[in-house]
Amino acid sequence: MFAIDQLRKTFKAPGNVTVNAVDGISLDVETGKLITLLGPSGCGKTTTLRCLAGLERPEAGRIVIAGETVCDVENGVFVPPSDRGIGMVFQSYAIWPHMTVFENVAFPLRVARERKYSSAEIKDKVARALDMVRMSGYENRPSTQLSGGQQQRLAFARGLVREPKILLLDEPLSNLDAKLREQMRVELKRLQKGLGVTTVYVTHDQSEALALSDEIAVFNAGRIIQRGSPQEIYRHPKSQFVADFIGSANFLKGMVKEAAGETALVETPHGVFRCNLGQTIAVGQSVLVSARPEDFVLYDKPPGEGLNVLAGRIVHRVFLGEVVDYLIDIGEGEIRVRVKPEFDFRIGQKVHIGVAPQKCVALPS
Amino acid sequence: MSGGTEPLTVAQVGLDRRPSGATGASILRPRNLALIACIVIAGWLVFVPLAALFYTAFTEDTGLGPGPASLQNFVEAYSSWHVARLFGNSLIFAGGTALVTLVMGGLVAWVVERTDAPCGSLFHALALLSFAIPGLLTAMAWILVLSPNIGWVNALIKSAFGLKDGPLSIYSMGGMIWALSSHYFPLAYLTLGPALRVLDVRMEEAALVSGARYWQVMPKITLPLLRPAILSTVLLLFMLGMSSYEVPRLIGRPARIDVFTTDIQAATHSAPPEFGIASALSFTLLCICIVAVFFYRRSTRNAEAFATITGKGYMPTRIKLRQWRWPVTLATFLLFAISLGLPLLTLVWQSFYRNLAQPFVGSAGLASWENYQFILHYPIFVDAVKTSVLLAVMAATIIVLLTFVMAWIALRAVPRSGWALDSLAFTPVAIPHVIIGASVLFAYLMLPIPVYNTIWILLIAYVTMYLPYGMRFISSGLTQIHKELEESAEVSGARVRQVFLRILLPLLLPVLLAAWIYIFVLAVRELSASVFLVGPGTHVLGTISLTMWEEGGSYGAVSALGVIQIMPLIVIVAALRWIELRVQRRAAAAAAEATA
Repeated sequence: MFAIDQLRKTFKAPGNVTVNAVDGISLDVETGKLITLLGPSGCGKTTTLRCLAGLERPEAGRIVIAGETVCDVENGVFVPPSDRGIGMVFQSYAIWPHMTVFENVAFPLRVARERKYSSAEIKDKVARALDMVRMSGYENRPSTQLSGGQQQRLAFARGLVREPKILLLDEPLSNLDAKLREQMRVELKRLQKGLGVTTVYVTHDQSEALALSDEIAVFNAGRIIQRGSPQEIYRHPKSQFVADFIGSANFLKGMVKEAAGETALVETPHGVFRCNLGQTIAVGQSVLVSARPEDFVLYDKPPGEGLNVLAGRIVHRVFLGEVVDYLIDIGEGEIRVRVKPEFDFRIGQKVHIGVAPQKCVALPS
Repeated sequence: MSGGTEPLTVAQVGLDRRPSGATGASILRPRNLALIACIVIAGWLVFVPLAALFYTAFTEDTGLGPGPASLQNFVEAYSSWHVARLFGNSLIFAGGTALVTLVMGGLVAWVVERTDAPCGSLFHALALLSFAIPGLLTAMAWILVLSPNIGWVNALIKSAFGLKDGPLSIYSMGGMIWALSSHYFPLAYLTLGPALRVLDVRMEEAALVSGARYWQVMPKITLPLLRPAILSTVLLLFMLGMSSYEVPRLIGRPARIDVFTTDIQAATHSAPPEFGIASALSFTLLCICIVAVFFYRRSTRNAEAFATITGKGYMPTRIKLRQWRWPVTLATFLLFAISLGLPLLTLVWQSFYRNLAQPFVGSAGLASWENYQFILHYPIFVDAVKTSVLLAVMAATIIVLLTFVMAWIALRAVPRSGWALDSLAFTPVAIPHVIIGASVLFAYLMLPIPVYNTIWILLIAYVTMYLPYGMRFISSGLTQIHKELEESAEVSGARVRQVFLRILLPLLLPVLLAAWIYIFVLAVRELSASVFLVGPGTHVLGTISLTMWEEGGSYGAVSALGVIQIMPLIVIVAALRWIELRVQRRAAAAAAEATA
């Protein structure tokens, strides 16, 4: 549906330092998919989105949307945002305060150049867009008299009313409170699947990314460092950064002792670990063994064969309702473990920690 | 970050995602052309007159225009003791005004913002009212009140105590300071008020809880917190005092108390005109004002830094005056009654009598509308009204349009280099209007542009003088409009023109209107630059009022002329206030919605 090729954009920082906000990003996305650009603030995800929208001019690269080249720096092509046929929802929603709900949604149709919409058509299309976001009946409400959630729905209706080729979402849920955010997440997914509109979603919230996406592109320092389905990204991180940014991972230092295809034996200060390999790593190379807190199991006696095992003492316990987090001192370093509350351990108790080899990933350190 | 050759990432430098604007874009893009046009227009307005001033100052004054380069003007202007007196008078006048207005304005601000004394909004309205009264008319009215010969208050005191001479004289340094302060103290109130309003009482309470006594809190906590606001108020009023022309002209001159502004004007109007000396004198005045503006801008920056300290959860608590509530209100009201009411009443009273009339004392015959009929059928007056209104309408319209584009470019199109445009538009703030008048005159006498003695030379001066006001109004209005409101329109398919017409214009309309009215009022009141630039057919309201006063129109006719100017201005200022209140309410409602 759209493709980005070798996109580059720099900013001038104070003191005349050039900063690569976007450093040679390439990305192509199929029709109907929802891709999330995920990363910490300042990683270039929003700049990429704004280049896609035409709100930012890249210094190099090419962008093609639905077969039309909208930006090609080398050949001097730049289609302004108004002519790219996109829908966008901004972080602030950007609802125009001087217009009613109806007029906000009707605006893209009123300024449309490809054809002139009759007022009956506008009325019909606006009604359908508002119905989609469950805002029917609010047409004549001044837009300043809407709650945060309603403003957000309105922003979606406005973004969708022209039936855009792609929908761009710039952290659209970040201004909502936690409960509403969860609810909107579900609605957003339903809406996107129902319409089948190709969607680019920018967020720094990994749980949002995992819940919504068909595909995730993890950004760091202006580059895409890993791309894949939510499961792939979560299960098979290719670097410490991704393992740490998506969910939270425990890391153990070690060295590859034996490698055979997908699996390897890693020598750590706590014993030999059997791990998966996300990429080819040579024997003798030092690595980090990464494992997620929820993949550990706690035992009061040593568990049976087939698991990687650690021993330690519980130093901290946080009860969170659905789960309990333990911080376990394993001699050199600490391990975070997340278990169901029915397994109850005391602070100070000695425990054995087991984790299945297929849940451990060896990453280059 | 190895080796230093790798470019830094945004995260490493920690700067926000501000676009670098037109990086790598063609100079011929429309927004770049608009940028260049704005720089050229504003640069022309600001720098051409200043260049002419410098040129005139550093060349020989031949009487037919500037000759070869020389320092002769400076030698002549600065070699007599007169210049030392000029310096002293100006500093005492401006400094005295700054201090008196600070005390008066500070008291009013304290009463309105920090106590539970009633009628706060009435005092605010009265403060704005002073803005509707031209400075020239205040000066005239004070002469009618406090002149040793004709002042009615003096007469009243003489007859009450059987004195031979009136005890008070407006024709003194003290009189000058009082006349200007009575006109400017509301300004001190308006600048100090917000600072007192945001001052968090809990900071004072924290000092009390920490063991400080009541009398220690004021010097140790309250005043240091208010220091930036006090400093900026003093500097602002000092600068206004330095640039003031009306009071020195009407009161200082007869009293032989000369200041820079009057001397500069006198030099250009002497026979033969001494443009060289006028520009050499302008130099010192300009330097003093530039220094004052420099420190003013620095202190207002600090004031903002202090204001952010209060932050969340701030609860305005007012001092409970209990039985003193009404006495304090009454005292404040009396302050306004004396400083604003007295001159205004005198003008209105006098306007109904042909001869000198003393309110409540003696009657000068029967009250009549005779003076008004005279003024309204006086052809020069009618012409001046036309000229003044036409000029004010044109100046306000041009400035609003120009600064709308300039503010948009500075904030949106080239946000990284926008400060340059901003500073350019603010430069005239540091130039006293007398100097703008003089230098515009010098510039267009030299340049082959035939505007001398036409309305256009006045327009050029007005646009230059009020450019900063337009910029201030509109850029602060624009910063309150989230950039994404425009971007979402663009993404929705709107072209730049449609974004301007359908999004920005309706959102900014109240601000544009307020800026327009504000500039209109200032322009109608203008005198200090106009005295240099009016020609035989282009007299404005300010200059005819001055001529009529100095060339012996009857007191009644001059007063009627004043009242006729003040009344419409009061209505316009009230309209301005109404618009501002609406803008504030809307902003408050939007803020409440955002937090809800």
